[in-house]
Amino acid sequence: MLEVNHLKAGYQDKVIVELPQLTLDSGEHCLILGDSGSGKTTLLGTLAGLLSPLGGAINVNGQDLAQLRGSALDTFRGRNIGIIYQTLHMVSALSVLENVLLPQYAAGVPQDREKAFGLLEQLGLADKKDQKPATLSQGQQQRVAIARAAINSPGIIVGDEPTSALDDRACETVMGLLLKLAASSNASLVIATHDQRIKAHFQTRIRVGGAQ
Amino acid sequence: MNSLRLSLAYLRHKALSTALSVTTFAAGVAVIVVLLLVNAQLQNEFTNNLQGIDLVVGAKGSPMQLILSSVFHLDVPTGNISLDQAEQLSRHPMVKEAIPLALGDNFRGFRIVGTTTAYPEHYQAKLKAGGRYWKKEMEAVLGADVAARSGLQPGDSFAGSHGLTKGGETHAQFPYKVVGIMEPTDSVLDRLILTGKESVWYIHEHHHHDHDDGDDNDEAGAPGGPTGGRHQGDNAEHDVAPHAGHHADQDSMAPANRDVEDHAGHDGEPHADHDAGQHAGEAAHGGGREITSLLISYNSPLAAVGLPRLINKSTSMQAASPSFEMARLNAFMGRGTETVKFFAWFLIALAGFGIFAGLYNAMNERRYDLALMRSFGARPAKLFALMMTESLLIALIGAGVGVAAGHLLVEGISTWLANTKHIPMTGRLFLSEELWFIPVSLAVGAVAALLPAFRVYRIDIFKTLVQR
Repeated sequence: MLEVNHLKAGYQDKVIVELPQLTLDSGEHCLILGDSGSGKTTLLGTLAGLLSPLGGAINVNGQDLAQLRGSALDTFRGRNIGIIYQTLHMVSALSVLENVLLPQYAAGVPQDREKAFGLLEQLGLADKKDQKPATLSQGQQQRVAIARAAINSPGIIVGDEPTSALDDRACETVMGLLLKLAASSNASLVIATHDQRIKAHFQTRIRVGGAQ
Repeated sequence: MNSLRLSLAYLRHKALSTALSVTTFAAGVAVIVVLLLVNAQLQNEFTNNLQGIDLVVGAKGSPMQLILSSVFHLDVPTGNISLDQAEQLSRHPMVKEAIPLALGDNFRGFRIVGTTTAYPEHYQAKLKAGGRYWKKEMEAVLGADVAARSGLQPGDSFAGSHGLTKGGETHAQFPYKVVGIMEPTDSVLDRLILTGKESVWYIHEHHHHDHDDGDDNDEAGAPGGPTGGRHQGDNAEHDVAPHAGHHADQDSMAPANRDVEDHAGHDGEPHADHDAGQHAGEAAHGGGREITSLLISYNSPLAAVGLPRLINKSTSMQAASPSFEMARLNAFMGRGTETVKFFAWFLIALAGFGIFAGLYNAMNERRYDLALMRSFGARPAKLFALMMTESLLIALIGAGVGVAAGHLLVEGISTWLANTKHIPMTGRLFLSEELWFIPVSLAVGAVAALLPAFRVYRIDIFKTLVQR
């Protein structure tokens, strides 16, 4: 559940994007569209709790992110928001399974290896669990990143161009898996992309840097 | 997964850099361990062998050489002293105990020492069951190491060879008979063969009659010392080639009653090719018997004030104080040890810098990982601890490897030293000082990680992970 009001998003005290209003009920998804440099990444970073809002309110599961500072924000983000980065940022020293467990280690919540393995199984990576991420293909790594974003059962999963590096088939697979995972944990997907192929999956679309 | 496992995963991931840091650290620690172990065992050897010996009296020459040769049986003796003079000194009221030593022969590199039973008694040596001390000439008692290494048993015979090191002429026609074996004493006795001083005289008197008939050069009939400039020069020659000549000496000019100094001065050079042992028995024809040295314990501490001076001034003998010479030796060795120690600490500091550089570089490569963990909710303190764990692990592993390597090295040195029959060493000795490596390595590790770990706090998550 996500509720945004009069949000001013920006970086280093400079407002780049404004989002007057957005409400997503549990399980409702949203697409943020925009060209490069339009500020959609900044908006996504703010919705993900990586940047503090410069104004307005972001309500995630009943908590206003604007009220949280420092490590309180870190902790809240760790437990309630799943993030898929455009550059996947796999930890190369760790195995695939350990990469999936990393958010639980980082957030200091009990580590659930069975759940991590279950996620990998759903994403078709069960046999890769002990391999290093570097041995996986881009599409497979993308799926590891999805499992990692979902491990803490977050209310919203934020994705930055999760499909744009993939070919058509992998794009469809990954999108399907994302929607399936979101549905199973009743999470909202917030995806920033310029990938036109996945538009059809989303009812709510926000266009940044142009007409809405 | 926890910080420890994560750190280990990172260390494995950059195995080469980890190995380099661990090796440098271990090298420094190993050098210090070797120094500690060797020093401790040397000091132990010194105190065990010095126990109760206040003064060593022998021929004039280097006092250090006299101590090393007579107390530790390491160096060659400075020369011989006359038995008469030695006995006279033994009766001095301030002398509690005087142990005569007559050196000259060896068996497979183990020195054969002609003495009295006062010598083993001084070191509280005990005979193994079934053994006894010598009662007549050519009976010998073996030190524990000698017995173990030679396999000789009471009842067996062996022949000594001339000189104090292996390879001299064998006195095959004068075999010794083993009559007893001593229990280990943890002193130099373990590596000696003891016999009555008469045995040493016996061999060399007969030896002379057999081979060097008419060569009276060895007869140093006149004890007591002429003094003067020539005397000093003679002693210098003693040091270079202390083997007062015999065998090949064809000097027909030698009168029967030349004094010791003249004799040694004359013969020092031609005999340099001979083994470097001074033969106590060499000049032992007739009444002018000689011994190598006298180990003296004082009756009262006051003796230290006057007795050495008395001996040095009024006799041809030299008195050397073991504690003074050992202090001097320690001062020499101390300088060397300090240098090596400095070098070792330099290695450890270098290793610390290596860990620092490794982590600092890792911080650059790993800022994505660290930012990622921050974005997943990890507090900076947690990542700080993660970096610290990694650094401390390297330091502790390095210290562990270094301690093990140090002990192995000393054990290696000891097997090598065992053949020289000098000072026994072992790598299987653990000193409480070694526990210091735990706090020291933790400190080095912590300091090395400090700066890289603090950078964790300054990571800009959004910029690192999202913006490019």
